[in-house]
Amino acid sequence: MTGRGFTARGKVAVVGYAQSAIQRHAGRPLGAITLETARAAIADAGLTNADIDGVVTSALFPTAGSHDVQDGVSSVPATWLAERLRGAGAGAGDAPRYVAGFHGIGQIPGMVGMAVNAVASGAADNVLVYRALHNPPGKYHANTMERAAGPAQWTAPQGFFGPLAMIGLPYTEYLQRYGARREAMAAVLVEARKNGARIPWSHWYKRPLTAAEYLAAPMISDPVCRYDCDIPVDGVAAFVLTSAERAADLPHRPVYVAGYASGLPATRRLPLHWPLDDIMDVGAETARRLWESSGVGPDEVDLPQLYDGFSPFVYFWLEALGFCPRGEAHRFVQDGRIDSDRPDALPVLSGGGALGNGRMHGIPQMLECYLQLSGRAGDRQRVGATVGLACHSSPHYGGAVVYTAEPRR
Amino acid sequence: MTARPLPVPDEISAPYWAAAAGHVLAIARCARCGSFALPPDQACPHCRSTDPDYAFEPVSGRGTVRSWTVIRQSGLPGFASEVPFVLVDVELAEQPELRMIGRLLDGPAALEGPAALEGPAALDGPGEPPLRLGAPVRVGFEDVAPGVAIPAFTLAAAARPGEEP
Ligand SMILES: [Zn+2]
Repeated sequence: MTGRGFTARGKVAVVGYAQSAIQRHAGRPLGAITLETARAAIADAGLTNADIDGVVTSALFPTAGSHDVQDGVSSVPATWLAERLRGAGAGAGDAPRYVAGFHGIGQIPGMVGMAVNAVASGAADNVLVYRALHNPPGKYHANTMERAAGPAQWTAPQGFFGPLAMIGLPYTEYLQRYGARREAMAAVLVEARKNGARIPWSHWYKRPLTAAEYLAAPMISDPVCRYDCDIPVDGVAAFVLTSAERAADLPHRPVYVAGYASGLPATRRLPLHWPLDDIMDVGAETARRLWESSGVGPDEVDLPQLYDGFSPFVYFWLEALGFCPRGEAHRFVQDGRIDSDRPDALPVLSGGGALGNGRMHGIPQMLECYLQLSGRAGDRQRVGATVGLACHSSPHYGGAVVYTAEPRR
Repeated sequence: MTARPLPVPDEISAPYWAAAAGHVLAIARCARCGSFALPPDQACPHCRSTDPDYAFEPVSGRGTVRSWTVIRQSGLPGFASEVPFVLVDVELAEQPELRMIGRLLDGPAALEGPAALEGPAALDGPGEPPLRLGAPVRVGFEDVAPGVAIPAFTLAAAARPGEEP
């Protein structure tokens, strides 16, 4: 598996983190929580605010609803945070020199890729990467629009609106094509919530879910029920990335970025129309790019942390990444084969994912890779895990990052 | 009370909505390569011409179901009195992968069985629910406001040997 030349492989490392409480409503402005979480991550890395010369995020407030986007309240762009990171008396010359935001759909791998590029190129030495997510008052995706202009004119007038209808279509296509039953997904939900119930900052801490509870949940957009969707929350996570050389002098064991990749479909579709074949065909290319970038193959991955903001993505990623053949994921997840408590299983949701933590996008996946590979997972520490993979969003629009405990070349 | 969102025709889409108002499905066709485009983009989705000079051409309105979902809660309050309703992902007959999403006017009964339905789809025989992958559909229209109609679909009887579909 020779790389086409991802020259940053193994040269950039995650060296510290902080994760806020994940709550339905924090009762405090998101900006304040973000600033505190950022400072905590910088301190955790053994650095000071003045050491941070790069700030990267993806600030999207991912609602289809008619909620205001307000910096510091519902969204925290990199410029907002960068302006507030330094203490009193700092001058313009002290401002971070690399401040950037990722605007694509797989926000977590997207922003990590930008941070890696910044460190590898010397655009910044120590980059703070964070994601701040907000749950507004009222219904998350409710939208009172009475006029559908622009792209929405092709979908909203007939009631095709929001991400639940979006995922309902390819999920039906999957179930019908492969003769799968929606009951099979209970194994995914039980596993995500079992692990989330062990994580103190999770919204679902100490609250596992049974298969019977999953199957009793109301349907929202058939075959998607309430528990197939992650729950909207207020929450912030922050990480510090630096060069492998500087990482050697910092307090925690570094976790190296081996490579990353994103997908992008070439076929133009109606807004939010994600046919199964687009997801899987482009997803296969995303996976190919990931293995090429990282120099790692699927057989080497100990911790494939699959994205699960909607549960069908777990099937799609399992198949796109080649952990099982197409059409087989609904069988693969049964009988304990993804149970993180079994040594012979593939622990695809050991960090609880978004279903087990709350709508933190791909943060739980990234955090689990960091905690396990740096030996900081506490009671949940897995022995011998050296290669992690953190996905976000759909295989055809999102992406993934490969993390390693030792630097790859 | 919030109403269902109505389309706002623009420079490119105006002929589509004008045709729909007369219950005609007319899809944009690129003058450069002849491909249908839905939605019509600033650059043709097929040949990427930035001067596609679309003409809206009436199509047969026939297609096949590629997928569906039953909406039981809508983020659009104007649909609150319409739930549950079915949306179908339809591949139109005129061109591979020319796909459109619309309401299935037969409603959720189409997922139960032929007996639950009236009309031609009820003739499809026992067993299989009429709404399934590959099921044939025809375009229909919902008149939602004076001069505004929204394309939708209804199940069509499967073509039988010797019969025009
Ligand atoms: Zn063209």
